[in-house]
Amino acid sequence: MSDTGLVLKDVYRVFPGNVTAVSDVNLEIKNGEYVVFLGPSGCGKTTTLRMIGGHDDPSSGTITIDGELLNGVTPAKRPITTVFQHYALFPHKSVLQNVAFGLKMQGMDKAERETQAKAAIELVGLTAMMDRKPRELSGGQQQRVALGRVLVTRPKAILLDEPLGGLDRLLQLKMRVELRALQRELGITFIHVTHNQEEALSMADRIVVMGDAIVQQVGTPEKLARQPRNEFVATFMGDNNVLKGTIASASGGVIVIDTPYGKVEVEGTGNVGDESSMAIRASAVKVSTDAVPAINGIKVRLDFAEYLGDSVKLHMDLDGKPFMAKVHEERYAEIRAYEGKDITASWTREDGHLLEQ
Amino acid sequence: MVTSLSSNDHHALDEAKAEVAAAEAVEKQTLPEAPLGIMATSGPVRSPLVTLAWIAPGTIWLLLFLIAPLLMIVLVSLWERTPVGFEAFSFTGAAYGRLFETSVYTNTLRDTVIRSVIITLLCILIGYPIAFFLARCVKTVKFQIALFIVVLAPFWVAYVVRIVSWLPVLGRQGLINYFLVNVLQVVQEPVDALFYSTFAITLALIQLYVLFMVTPIFFQLATLDNASVEAARDLGATPSRVFREVIFPLSLPGVLIGCIFVFVLTMGEFATVRLIGGGTIQSVGTIVYEAYVLPDLPKAAAGATILVAVMTVGVAIMLRFSKIREVV
Repeated sequence: MSDTGLVLKDVYRVFPGNVTAVSDVNLEIKNGEYVVFLGPSGCGKTTTLRMIGGHDDPSSGTITIDGELLNGVTPAKRPITTVFQHYALFPHKSVLQNVAFGLKMQGMDKAERETQAKAAIELVGLTAMMDRKPRELSGGQQQRVALGRVLVTRPKAILLDEPLGGLDRLLQLKMRVELRALQRELGITFIHVTHNQEEALSMADRIVVMGDAIVQQVGTPEKLARQPRNEFVATFMGDNNVLKGTIASASGGVIVIDTPYGKVEVEGTGNVGDESSMAIRASAVKVSTDAVPAINGIKVRLDFAEYLGDSVKLHMDLDGKPFMAKVHEERYAEIRAYEGKDITASWTREDGHLLEQ
Repeated sequence: MVTSLSSNDHHALDEAKAEVAAAEAVEKQTLPEAPLGIMATSGPVRSPLVTLAWIAPGTIWLLLFLIAPLLMIVLVSLWERTPVGFEAFSFTGAAYGRLFETSVYTNTLRDTVIRSVIITLLCILIGYPIAFFLARCVKTVKFQIALFIVVLAPFWVAYVVRIVSWLPVLGRQGLINYFLVNVLQVVQEPVDALFYSTFAITLALIQLYVLFMVTPIFFQLATLDNASVEAARDLGATPSRVFREVIFPLSLPGVLIGCIFVFVLTMGEFATVRLIGGGTIQSVGTIVYEAYVLPDLPKAAAGATILVAVMTVGVAIMLRFSKIREVV
């Protein structure tokens, strides 16, 4: 037995009718890592999770954990358990019975499994609710029962399918912190599926962005936020502006792209005349009433300023296309005065980021 | 002059903390909270008049066709018998006296209860696998519907036809007697007891009412949350454990509804008993019918009153049993 963690190699899943749900997925997830699969619905993230959990089988490719092949192994026999989307608690069983279920299936005797289940219930902070039925618990508490139920079997990895999807926003924020803390405490691999960018950024050690059945990018939250690999990731992660054009010049590791709105320069290489695109984070965009600079600047119309509490998001119009900027909340009153007027958006070369085509 | 300013990260952390604290407060306040979904469905507050209008048709229906006839039966059972019917408001317990003059009613009531319980249990044994197969083994909805219609087949034919159709099977010249006499040659003469017997009645009633068991169990199983099954499997349950621990307990409400249907319907049965029993076998229904044609309407009403009371007790016991099980 090695300690190679969870490895997906050349994994494909093609459903009947030739629908490719997952294509060419290659991932290595280290033991103890918190990985979030992020993508819009239908991107293949849940199918990938189901294949890791054994609830679906890859059409081709292999899935191994610590060197052990998982293909064809039933969910029951995998050292991996799933927290299902709506928790899938057993409604007819008490919290204690729910949590002890996995141990009961392992054939552990009643006294022993109850001791262990009680320890798991304490870990998730539900000792007072042990004898209640799931329907007598709030969403957040049900979530914790679901966690306790998988933790008690001491799996190598826990899969969480949209674990915070059913909770209201405040509870989501609380559970994010709790889940992350629990994962650190236990050191178990967590694989978490979500379509919520903010959730992914706040919780993951590494994010796997999926789209159109393939892995679009794998990286740390900062990497994804700052350096989206391609237009899909840049757009999906949000708060990114994408400008497209043809390469006008390329020298010394800097290229100049000629866009319909002006020239922009960005670090990278390319061939003159090729199509190219770059992204600028909304928070890197500076807005002013200064003259439009010759490079890395555009004239935009401010449609409206959206107050977000800690920042102000500027929704601007670039020839019919949206363009965004984020500035400090203190600027709100000042900026509102420019609604409906033309202003200048600019950024530095370092803030621009070349996208793969 | 609007000038540049972009970063605001130092605020974000403090605010996240504040939000988490608020979330904790919110969760504490609202406990114990209703399950998700229930809260979402609670609509706007209606005026009492609108509510009244909504419940009126059902209430009137129940009053006219359930409560009023029941009350009437109880009243008639307490009134004096006359050669043509009864004397209204002449209260007497004589009808009950006539009913219990001999032990016929008591014995028949006992037999009817026993028969109903046996039929109900057999309907579970026969109906559950059918429902399970339809709901969980048949994969496509199209086939489910097709097979369900096949199960419904007995209900396509008239009640009497359905009963009489047992004659070619169990009758004197029926299929089974033919085999017994001519093929197997275990008996000389055709067996009459096959048709005019408790056995035949039980068989016919099961055929008639098993569908009332299959249908609720089918719907319970078909709407069962598959995620629970997946979760059980995920936690190491073998298929038989999944059934015992999750599927069966969650299907119990369907079984209970089926039991109530079958029990109540077989308790009140009289036409099947009359036709297949050939007058030799009694049920509470046939006794009530005989009193009715006599005519001794108060006695018939007394017999019916006690039948309804016993059925109510039976259903109450079933509901109580389900309460103990705390089925969802």
